[in-house]
Amino acid sequence: MFRSGLTCPGCGSSNIVDDDLYSQAQLVCTDCGSVVSEGTLADDPVGGSGVQRLKALCQILRVNAEIEDQSEKYYKEAYQHESFINVTLQKKEILAGCCLLVSCRMRNWPITMGTISCLLDADFNVVGATYKEMMKILNIKAPIVNVTDVMEAHSQEYKMSSYPEELAENSKDLTRRAVALVELAADSWIVTGRKPIPIMMAAVYLGWQSLKPNQHRLRMSLEKFCQLAQVKKCRAAMTRIAEMKEMLCKLGKELPWLRGAVTPDNVIPQVDDILQNRHALLRRAMRAHEDTLQAECQTSSADPPTEQTAPSQITEHVDQTPSASSVEQCEPNPERAEPPADKEANLHTAPEQSDAQESPDPAPNWGKRVLFAPPCVVHPKKRRAAQPELQDVNGDEEISDSEIDSYLRTPREVRDFALTQKMLSDEGKS
Amino acid sequence: MQLSSFTWKLLKILDQVDQVRCGVMDESALERYFDDSIANDSAFILGEELGLQSPAPLLHDSTPSVQNSSFLSTKSERSSELGDELDLSFLPDDLSTQEEPSQDDTGNATQQPASVSGLRTIVSPFCPMTPMTPMTPMTPVTERSGIIPQLQNIVSTVNLGCPLDLKFIALQARNAEYNPKRFAAVIMRIREPRTTALIFSSGKMVCTGAKSEEQSRLAARKYARVVQKLGFPARFLDFKIQNMVASCDVCFPIRLEGLVLTHQQFSSYEPELFPGLIYRMVKPRIVLLIFVSGKVVLTGAKERAEIYEAFENIYPILKGFRKQ
Repeated sequence: MFRSGLTCPGCGSSNIVDDDLYSQAQLVCTDCGSVVSEGTLADDPVGGSGVQRLKALCQILRVNAEIEDQSEKYYKEAYQHESFINVTLQKKEILAGCCLLVSCRMRNWPITMGTISCLLDADFNVVGATYKEMMKILNIKAPIVNVTDVMEAHSQEYKMSSYPEELAENSKDLTRRAVALVELAADSWIVTGRKPIPIMMAAVYLGWQSLKPNQHRLRMSLEKFCQLAQVKKCRAAMTRIAEMKEMLCKLGKELPWLRGAVTPDNVIPQVDDILQNRHALLRRAMRAHEDTLQAECQTSSADPPTEQTAPSQITEHVDQTPSASSVEQCEPNPERAEPPADKEANLHTAPEQSDAQESPDPAPNWGKRVLFAPPCVVHPKKRRAAQPELQDVNGDEEISDSEIDSYLRTPREVRDFALTQKMLSDEGKS
Repeated sequence: MQLSSFTWKLLKILDQVDQVRCGVMDESALERYFDDSIANDSAFILGEELGLQSPAPLLHDSTPSVQNSSFLSTKSERSSELGDELDLSFLPDDLSTQEEPSQDDTGNATQQPASVSGLRTIVSPFCPMTPMTPMTPMTPVTERSGIIPQLQNIVSTVNLGCPLDLKFIALQARNAEYNPKRFAAVIMRIREPRTTALIFSSGKMVCTGAKSEEQSRLAARKYARVVQKLGFPARFLDFKIQNMVASCDVCFPIRLEGLVLTHQQFSSYEPELFPGLIYRMVKPRIVLLIFVSGKVVLTGAKERAEIYEAFENIYPILKGFRKQ
C-alpha cells in the first residue's frame, strides 16, 4: 500500500510501497526500485508507523479527537500483546483500523468493518479475525452497529449531486429516503443477521430511484448506478433489492387508490406513498393476511384444530393487531401430513427425529404462512436427506468380525497398493 | 386417578429422597404432568428413552439460582444393577454435591454439574430412608418449551494404550487416509455408525460424527477393533465424551439486535462477521448460536443434560423477543 508523504531519494517519486519481503519491512519506490528504508519490525518505536497509519485513517474518516485518542490508546495496548508484537506491518495496520473501529462504535460514531477493510485495502476476513482477537485481548465489549446509524455515513459516499437534474440527488434527501427504507426493511426481517453494506446499497439505490421515478432512473441498473456514484458494487445488494421490492409490494398492494396489481416492476413510483402511510398500510396488510388465513382455516377439512404451542405464526410483526390471537386457535397444519390420531402436535422436534411418522414431507414451513418472515426461513436451503437413524444403540453391542474384516485390505490388495505407491513415488522422483 | 406404573415408581422414589434441592412438585401437579405426557404418546416414549429426562424440567425450575442439572443422567450411564423395581439412574451419585453454594445470576459459576453414573444406593445426607412428603416447589414451575434439541455431533476420545505404526495402518486398512505432511494422524472412517476417527501414533484416538453417546462409544470400539485386528495390542481406556453439539428450531423469528442489547454480558452479535448471535451461557457452560430464523445450535456440552438445561434456559428469553 502506498505511503503518503514519503519521496524516493532516488527519483523523487512519491509512489512508495511497503514490501514485506521475508517478513522484513522495506519501503520501496515503485518507479525506480530503490529501497527507501529498511526498517525491521524491532526498530519500530512503540506503535511507530502503526500510529501514523491510525492518524491517517482518522483524518480520512474525519473522526473527532476523542475517538482518535481512544483508538490510539487501544492500539498501544494491543500492540504490546504477544499476539500482535511480531506480526507483519500489514497486520499492524489492520490492528490500527480495528482499534479505530471499536473506538468509533463506543463513541456512537459507527463505521462498518467493510469500510475499514476498503480503506486498508485488506482482506475482509483478515480484518474480521483481527478484530475478534483484539476484542479478546483488550477485553472490551462494543455496542452493535445499528444500520440506520451507519446509513448516513454510508450514503455520503454516493456522489450523486453533480449530475443533470434527472439523475442528481443531494446527499441529505438521499440519506433520509434510504434510512426510511432501511427501517422498513428491518421491520420485515430483511436486516437482522445480514451484512449491512449490501442492505445500505440497496436502500440508497431504491431510494434514489423513488425520489424521482422517471424512466431514466427506473431503467438504470445497479451496476450503472454504482458507476455513477463512484462506489464499488457488491453482489449481495441485488438480492436485497429483490427482497425489499417484495416487501414494498406487500405494502403497496394495500394502497386503496391503486388499480391493478403491484409488482416489483411498478412498485418504485409508489414508494413515496408507501413510506408516508406505512403504519396504516402495515395494519391493513396484517389484517388482510389474517383474513386469508382464517378463510383457509375454515375451508380446510384435514385435521381438527390441534392445540398449537407455537402461536407465533402471526406474531412476529411490529404492529400487532389484537385479532391475531383469535386466528391462532383456528390454525390447522395443512402442510403436516399427520394422521389425526397422532397427537404429536405439541412437540416440535426436527423432522428426522419424529420416529412416529415416516412421512417424507418436510417440517411445516412457518415462514410461508406469515406476512413477513426472515428470507432464510421463507426460502430454506435444501438439506441433504437425513440418514436413517441407528435406533436403540447401547454402545456395548457385539461387533461382528465380518464387519471389521470388511475394513481391512486383503494381502493381495496390500501388495498392489504398496506397488502402486512405489511406482508413483519413483515416477515423481524421476 | 389412574397412574402408570412409571409414575408410581417415581413417586415412591421421591418419597424416599429427602430435600432434593431442585424443587420437587407437589403430588397432584406431578400426576397432572404425567397424565399429560402419557396422553401424548410420543412424548412419553421419548421420556422413557431419555432416561426419565423429560420430567426433569419439572423437578427443578429453570431459574438459574436454583438450577441444578446434576441429577439428570445420560442414557449410557443408566444403571441396571438395581433391578427393574427402582430405576434411580436419574438421581446423582453423590447427593451432597447438591448443597454447593448456588451461583448468582451474574453467572460466576465455575462448577460443572457432577458427573452422573448409576446409583448404587440411595444416599441422602440428611435422613436416609425416611418417608417424606413431597415439598412444594420453591418457585413456580415454568412452562416447558416442548422442544427437544436433537444431537447432531458427538466428539469423544479414547486411549488405545499402545503406540501405533500409522504407515502400517494406512497400508493395511481400506478406510484409512494418512498424509503425514498435512496432518500427523490416520483418518479412518466406518459406515455404521457413520463416523470419522483420528488415530495418532501415541495410541490416542478422537472419534467424531456420531449422533449419540452410545453410538460414539460403539464407533470408538469398532475403530479399536480394527486396530486390534491389525495386530496391535489395543485396549479401550478412558473413553470420554468431549463435546456434544445439538440443534433445534423454536419456529419463530428472533430480534437478535434486541437480544444483544438486553443480554450484553453474554451475547456477541457481529452481523458483518457471522449472521448468528453467539450466546455464552454461564450455567451450564454452553455456547449457543442463535439465528434470526429461530434455529438454535448448542455446543460445548459434555453431557446431554447440559444441552437440555441450556435450551430450557434460553427458551423463555427467546420467547420474550418474539413479539418485538
